[in-house]
Amino acid sequence: MEGIATAAFYLGAAAYAAAAVLFFLDLARREGSSAAAVVAPVALGVGATLHAAHVVTASLFSRICPVESLHFSLSLSALILAGMYLILRTRFRLQAVGAVVAPLALTFLIGAQFVGAEQHSITGVSRLLLILHITANLAGVGFFLLAGAAGAFYLVQERSLKEKRPTWLTAKLPPLDALDRTEHRLLLTGFPLLTLGVVTGGFFASRLGPAGGAELLRSALGYATWILLALVLVMRAAAGWRGRRSAYGTLAGVLCVTTVILLYVIKSTGASG
Amino acid sequence: MIVVAGLSHRTAPIAVRERIALPKAEIPRVLTQFVARPAIGEAMLISTCNRVELIVAGKNGPASELSAVGRDAVEGLAALASGVRQHLYVHEGVDAVRHLFRVASSLDSLVLGEPQILGQVKDAFETARVAGTIGGCLHRTVPRAIRAAKRVRTETQLGAGQISVPSVAVDLARQIFGDFRGKTVVLLGSGEMAETVAKLLKTAGTRLLVVGRNEARVGVLAAAVGGEPRGWADLSAALTEADVVITSTSAPGFVVDYDTIHGLRRKRRGRSLFFIDLAVPRDIDPKVESLSEVFLYNIDDFERVVGETRQSRAREAQHAERVVVEEMAGWERWAESTQVTPVVVALRARFSRLLHAELDKSLKGRLKHLGDEDRAALAIMLDAALNKLLHAPTAHLRQVVTDKDFESYRVEQLMNAVAELFELDAEPVSVPSTPSRPAPAPAPDAEGAEPSRRRATGTNGE
Repeated sequence: MEGIATAAFYLGAAAYAAAAVLFFLDLARREGSSAAAVVAPVALGVGATLHAAHVVTASLFSRICPVESLHFSLSLSALILAGMYLILRTRFRLQAVGAVVAPLALTFLIGAQFVGAEQHSITGVSRLLLILHITANLAGVGFFLLAGAAGAFYLVQERSLKEKRPTWLTAKLPPLDALDRTEHRLLLTGFPLLTLGVVTGGFFASRLGPAGGAELLRSALGYATWILLALVLVMRAAAGWRGRRSAYGTLAGVLCVTTVILLYVIKSTGASG
Repeated sequence: MIVVAGLSHRTAPIAVRERIALPKAEIPRVLTQFVARPAIGEAMLISTCNRVELIVAGKNGPASELSAVGRDAVEGLAALASGVRQHLYVHEGVDAVRHLFRVASSLDSLVLGEPQILGQVKDAFETARVAGTIGGCLHRTVPRAIRAAKRVRTETQLGAGQISVPSVAVDLARQIFGDFRGKTVVLLGSGEMAETVAKLLKTAGTRLLVVGRNEARVGVLAAAVGGEPRGWADLSAALTEADVVITSTSAPGFVVDYDTIHGLRRKRRGRSLFFIDLAVPRDIDPKVESLSEVFLYNIDDFERVVGETRQSRAREAQHAERVVVEEMAGWERWAESTQVTPVVVALRARFSRLLHAELDKSLKGRLKHLGDEDRAALAIMLDAALNKLLHAPTAHLRQVVTDKDFESYRVEQLMNAVAELFELDAEPVSVPSTPSRPAPAPAPDAEGAEPSRRRATGTNGE
């Protein structure tokens, strides 16, 4: 079992790396269609499949529920990110976004190896609720990272059009409207999951009693993310805030989410070290 | 070697080109007619709106007399339509190959770097292949031209960017909206360029509203571009619905000002708005650009993008010409190796004939007691010895002809020397005439003028 998990890990990482290179080559291509455009999503799909195989076999081998360990949680969020991208690209012209998704998936897959695989244990808290909390947060993170990538591409494309300096590179990026729509739909999907994560997180905090500085910062950032993304969605619905403002709001939210993840990783690395 | 004969936008006006243009379904039959002519053994035909070119090789392959092949090609083309003969040109040998490489690479196109020509060359080759009119010469040459064109597309920016104001406008609109279905375009004022953009967007699936002060003129314009006529009083409503606004009025001041667009923001709910201002003086207040999700391009902006693209294409054309020269070198190696093949074949035939004659003599004399197995073994041994004997000189000959420092006339001298030394003239194999080496790359210009020598058959030729 360990051998399968290791092989799936290395092959998955290789497939993600190949996908990242191919997406980049396709993005750097000046015109016309190339084999890289066809092979890149296939490589990403293969990478995601092997990644899933790695998570399943490694968690079975180590007898740890994937969502109860930060190691596997990080890995899973990358898997969700890659999976969502592969689904969305069938509906929207998002080929260029793959150049961000593939390296992110690779980074998370490899980065998770440096984080301890120990199970979370919170006394006095239902295990089912803990799994729900982590799963919701993980899925939300996957959605937000993808929304952030769409937002970043929107800003690059919008700037180039506003400055009237369109280049062959920006001509290859998805259209502004497609990026804006994709970002909005990802936020709409991810927001309920984040809400669930925030609510369950608040419940745990009340059970655990007084928290340390890092926990407080993490909670504050979690709430800030939730408020920011809620604001983006509300302002879009109420006042027609789209495009640039929506992209900046989403990126701010993604920054908060990334900081929360980093704090978890730092804490976990410190604990295992 | 090959010959290219035909006419293009450089030598014939559209009135002539459309006379000779062939429907795709007709091409296989015409190709069959061409290869039925006395000198032509292989043929393919590129027929586009800008050119009709026949690429042919002789019945004797590389050894064919090119001038006869060229004459046959011209006669065949002239027979296709009246009044085209004086517009035809002919390229032979290396010039023909270079021309084909440049055509496939879009270096001879009306619009440098346009992408369609490569597909058209591929289609022409496939059509000829299916029609059975492709032989060794074209099979070795056309795929190399396609490879050169692919390299030009991937290694240079010759095809990057847009090249006319309407195409720039539509491409920019596509960068904003992607899919035009369900989008609304508002056309304010008339003008050739504005109407072209409106028609292009209408064809792409948009809804087109034509707004103007003069009801009668608006009706006529709307009918011409396939839009819905609207009065001036409807301008605000039209701007609320609009995704793209094309303006080309003769108004002395701004027709759409900042306050109007700012005031519509809430109603528009943040939808992107693309202004294409083609009027001089300008119709759109430049301040609207400061609003988010509003994009404004005026005629100067468009001209700058077009100009940058044209300059960039002229620069890239030089790079593309270098790619063509590199690919030509590969073809040249093959062409020169065809000189060696008949000599090597003749050499092998002569040695084999002599050795087997000696063996036969021995087998009828002192070795007549040998059985069939031993006789066969001896024959095999002779062939093996022959292979070993000829390996070094064959390899050396091939190396010499592909050595770029070895002059063409010296290659010919060497071949003649080998033929004389071993009395190969008696052998039933012909030695082809030496193809000339390609000239250095021409200095490309923005017009992409044909740089090589070209023989025109009529008074209007180059």
